[in-house]
Amino acid sequence: MSSIPWPFPKPSRGLRDVARQRVRRWAKKRQGLDPLTTQLRPGRVYILPTGVGLIFGLMCFAMLLGSMNYNNNLSFVLTFILSGLGFVSMHQCQRNLVDLELSFAGVEPVFAGQVAQFRVAVSNHSKTARHGIMLYVDGTVSEICDLAPGDSQVLTLPITTTERGYVSLQRFGIQTVFPFELFRSWAWLHMDLKGLVYPKPANHPPEPPPTHTDQGHRQHDARGEEDFAGLRKFNPGDSPRHVAWKAFARSNQLLSKQFAGADTSSQWFDFDTVPASDLETRLSILTRWITDTDRTRADYGLRVPGVEYPPSHGDAHRRTCLETLALFGKDTDHG
Amino acid sequence: MAKRRGTDGSLLTSLPWTIGALVFALAPHLPYLSIWITLVFMACAAWRYLIEKRRMALPPMAVRAILAVSCFVGVLSTYGDISGVGPGSALLTVMAAMKLLETRKRRDQFVLLFISIFLVMSTVLREQYLWSLPYLIAAVALIMTAWLRMSATRQETARDSFHTSKRLLLYAAPLALAMWIFFPRISTPFWGVPIDTSMATSGISNTLSPGDISELSLSDAVAFRVDFKSPIPEARDLYWRGLVLTHFTGRTWSGREQPGHAPGSRDTIEVDGEPVSYRITIEPTRQPYVFALDIPFQWSLPNAAMGLQQQITRAHPIDQRIAYDAISYPRYSVQRDMSRTAKNWYSKLPAERNPRTRELALDMFAQAGSEQAFIDAVLRKFNQEEYFYTLRPPALGNNSVDRFLFDTKQGFCEHYASAFAVMMRAAGIPARIVLGYQGGELNPLGDYMIVRQSDAHAWTEVWLENRGWVRVDPTSAVAPQRIEAGMRGSLRDGSANSWGLTSPAEWLHSLGLSWDAINAKWNAWVLGYGPENQDRFMQFLGIDNPDWQNKVFTLIGVGIALILGISLLLALRYRAPRPDPAQALYLQFEKKTGLERATGETPNGFAIRAQRESPLDDDTITDITEAYLAARYGSPDPNALSQLESRVNSLP
Repeated sequence: MSSIPWPFPKPSRGLRDVARQRVRRWAKKRQGLDPLTTQLRPGRVYILPTGVGLIFGLMCFAMLLGSMNYNNNLSFVLTFILSGLGFVSMHQCQRNLVDLELSFAGVEPVFAGQVAQFRVAVSNHSKTARHGIMLYVDGTVSEICDLAPGDSQVLTLPITTTERGYVSLQRFGIQTVFPFELFRSWAWLHMDLKGLVYPKPANHPPEPPPTHTDQGHRQHDARGEEDFAGLRKFNPGDSPRHVAWKAFARSNQLLSKQFAGADTSSQWFDFDTVPASDLETRLSILTRWITDTDRTRADYGLRVPGVEYPPSHGDAHRRTCLETLALFGKDTDHG
Repeated sequence: MAKRRGTDGSLLTSLPWTIGALVFALAPHLPYLSIWITLVFMACAAWRYLIEKRRMALPPMAVRAILAVSCFVGVLSTYGDISGVGPGSALLTVMAAMKLLETRKRRDQFVLLFISIFLVMSTVLREQYLWSLPYLIAAVALIMTAWLRMSATRQETARDSFHTSKRLLLYAAPLALAMWIFFPRISTPFWGVPIDTSMATSGISNTLSPGDISELSLSDAVAFRVDFKSPIPEARDLYWRGLVLTHFTGRTWSGREQPGHAPGSRDTIEVDGEPVSYRITIEPTRQPYVFALDIPFQWSLPNAAMGLQQQITRAHPIDQRIAYDAISYPRYSVQRDMSRTAKNWYSKLPAERNPRTRELALDMFAQAGSEQAFIDAVLRKFNQEEYFYTLRPPALGNNSVDRFLFDTKQGFCEHYASAFAVMMRAAGIPARIVLGYQGGELNPLGDYMIVRQSDAHAWTEVWLENRGWVRVDPTSAVAPQRIEAGMRGSLRDGSANSWGLTSPAEWLHSLGLSWDAINAKWNAWVLGYGPENQDRFMQFLGIDNPDWQNKVFTLIGVGIALILGISLLLALRYRAPRPDPAQALYLQFEKKTGLERATGETPNGFAIRAQRESPLDDDTITDITEAYLAARYGSPDPNALSQLESRVNSLP
C-alpha cells in the first residue's frame, strides 16, 4: 500500500503469514458468515496506523520534545493541533466505513483463465458523505469511490480464474485511508460468494462432428443467415428471442419462430466421441464447439455422461450446456 | 538508456496546493534567508509546476544530484553551520526545492508536506508575535487541505477538501487546547541549543567602559514588564538591580567574585519596612542575569541564586520570555560588617591610571573630613560645576576618568557612575557599580509598568561604616529629572503640550501603549504559560497538589472525555438507520428455509414457493409470513414483533 517504506525490519514471511492466518480465522469465527446484504457494525471495522501515520506520530513526538526543550508555547500549540488531528482522523477513518451497507450484486460466468468480476454494491444510508472507499482481496483492489448521502455504487473485484468450476470469494475487504492516510480502517466480509467458471475453450479444436439434417448430412449455412420459415408450438428451452410475442398477444398462445437453416439442423456434441483422451481437454474442446456454434445460432445438442440436452440454441441453452461442462465431475454443492 | 517518461499530469490537482503550503510555510522565513535560497526554491517550484502542466519529463538524476550537492555546499558556506533555526530553515527550504524536482508520484508529496510542517515549527521557534497563532492555524489548515488533495478522488473538489480539513481542525481544537493546558511544563531545557532569535537586544552588557561607545542606542524595545501586586513605589525607588561590577582596569569595569569566599555564601541582608510584591515578564536577553527591584528578597525562578554583591544569576541564560514573581524591600542594609581585606579589595584601583582624579579625590576627602561629607561634596561638584548629561558624549582616551572629569565633562549614567566610584575608591571608600534599569513607564491601559532598553542605567554603591552598602546615584546630581521622571521625561521637551493639545507624537505613543497592553496580556497568558501559571490554573480548578503526575492524570482524563465526545459526535453524524428488526427476523427465516428470495419476490410469493420446496411445514411458513407482514407493514402493534420473534426462534 505505502510507498513510504515501513521503517522497521519486516518479520519473516512465514511468521507473518501464520499471524495473518490466525487473525483471519479469528475474525471469521467472530463474525460468522455474512448474509448477502450486510451492514457494517462498528465492532467489525478494524483500524491500524499506516506507515505514513507512524512517521507522523514520530514527528509529533519529536516536535513535543522540541517544544518542551525550548518551552515554547506556540510550538506546543502546533504540536498539539497536529496530534489532535491525528486522534480525530483515527475516529474519522473508522466512522468512514461504519454503517455502510454492502450487498452482492452478482458475477457473470467467465471462461477459465479470464477475470471474474465480482460486483458488490456499497450503499451509504447515512446523512454524511463517505470518501475514498475501496474493496480489496489479497493483492487486488477495486476502483476507489466517494459516496454522497443516500448514494450507492457498484464496485468490482477482479478475480483471476485458473480452472473450471466455481471460483469462490470467501472473504473480501472494504477499506479506507481517508482523511489523511494516517490510518487504514478496514472490514472483512465473509459472504461466501461463488462465480461460475466455464472450461477454457480449446485453442485449436478438432472439427466438430457433422450436422445431421432431415435430408442427411448437410453443412450448416456458414453465413448464419436465417430465413423466417414459420411458427411452431413453443417448447421449453426455446430462446425467448424467438418467441412470437405479437402472435402471443393476439392468440394468447406461445409460439416460436422457426428459421430456415436452423430448424432442420441438429448437431450433437457427444462427450464420448470427442477425439481426445484427457477429460479437461475434452471439456475444453466441447466448450469451444459450443461457443463457436452459438455464434452461428445453429442448434446443437450436448451429451455428457448422465445428462443430455436436445439440440436447441439461444442464451439459456448455451448457459445450461456450459454450466454442465463447468461442473462436470465436480462436487455440486451449489444451491 | 531508456527514454525518460514525461509526467502524466495526474498531480495537477494536488501539486499547486502542496507548493502553496510550502510557500505559505516559507513566507515568514524570507527576511532571514539568503536571497539565493529563496530564488532557488521559487525557480524549482515554478519549474516543477511547468513540468506537470506541459507533461514534460523530470530532470535527469545527474542534474538533480549536481543541484542538490551545490545547494548543500551553498548553505554550508553561507551559514558556516547547520544547527540552529536559521541554517535549519535554509536547509529545509533547499530540501523542499530538491524534493520537488523528484516528485513523481502522488505520495512523494508527503515528504514536502512534512517539510512544510517543520518550516512552520521553526517559524514559531524563532518568533512568537500576536499574529503567530492565527498564522499557525492558517498554515495547518492549508497543509492539511493539500494533504487531502493528495488522495482526493476525482469527484472531490478543492472546496470539499478545504471544508473537510476545516471540520477536522474544529474537532481537534478542544483536544489541542486540553493538551496545551494540562501537558506538564518543565522549566529547564534538556539540551541547550541556541536559537538565533532576533529579539535578544539587551541594553545591558556585562562590562562597562565609559567612553568606548560614544553613543547610547535609545532602543524603545521592551526589556521587561512589571505587574505590581502591592502599591507602586515612587519613581526614585525604581532601581531594577541587574549585575554588579567590582573590578576596574582604569578603563573598563567588570564583575569579579571577591576572592577567598566560599562559593554560594551570601552577605547578610537586613530588611525593614513594607515589602513590594510584583511579577516580572522579561524578554529574552541571552544573559543569565535576573533583574529585580532593589533589594530582592524572594523570587520564584528555579535555578536562579543570589551571589555575593546581591546579584541574581540563573544557571542558564534567559533564552525565551519568562515570568517570575519577586518580593523586594526598598529599605534595607547589606553587609554591615566588612573585613579589612574586603574593604581593600573593594577600593582597589590600578596604579598609574587616572592620576589627576586620585589626586583630586584625596584633596577633597581631606577637606571634607568625613565620608558622608566627601560623598556630598563630589555630588555637589557634579551638580554645580559644568557637567552635562548627554547621550552623545565625546570619546575618551586611556585615562577615561581624568579626561571626563577635567576635560569633556559630558556623559551619561555610565560616565558619572564610573567617575564617582573611582573617586570613592581613591579616597579608600569601598565602591562598586550596579547595572540595571531605572524607572519605567506605567501603562494605564493594562495597569502595569513597561521597562524599556532605553531605561538601562548604571549607578554606584558605596560601603559606609554601620550602614553597609548604600546606593548613590551620581546621575541624579546632574540630571535629577532622569531619575524623577524616567528616561522619556528627561528627553521629551514640553513644547507640544504648550498648545494644550495632544500632539501626534503623544497620540501615537498612547496607541503604542494600547498595543503593548494587548501584547503584554498575550505574553502573560499564552507565551508565558509556564509551570507557575499552570499550577495556578490547576489550583483554580480545585486540584490542590498540581505536580506533574496530577497534570498527566488530568490530561488523560480530559483527553479521554474529549475523544469520547468527538467519537460520539462522529457516530451521530455517520449513523445510518438499522435494518428493521422484523426484516432481520424474516432474513433468519429465509435462511432456514434453505431457499433464497429472488429480487422482487413478495413474501407471499416466497411463502408459496417455500411451502413447495422447503422442508419446513406449511403452517409454520404461513404463520411467520403473516406475523412478518403484520409487524412490518401492519398497524403499529408491539405484540406483532414479539410474536414474529418467538415463531422464528422456535424454528428448528
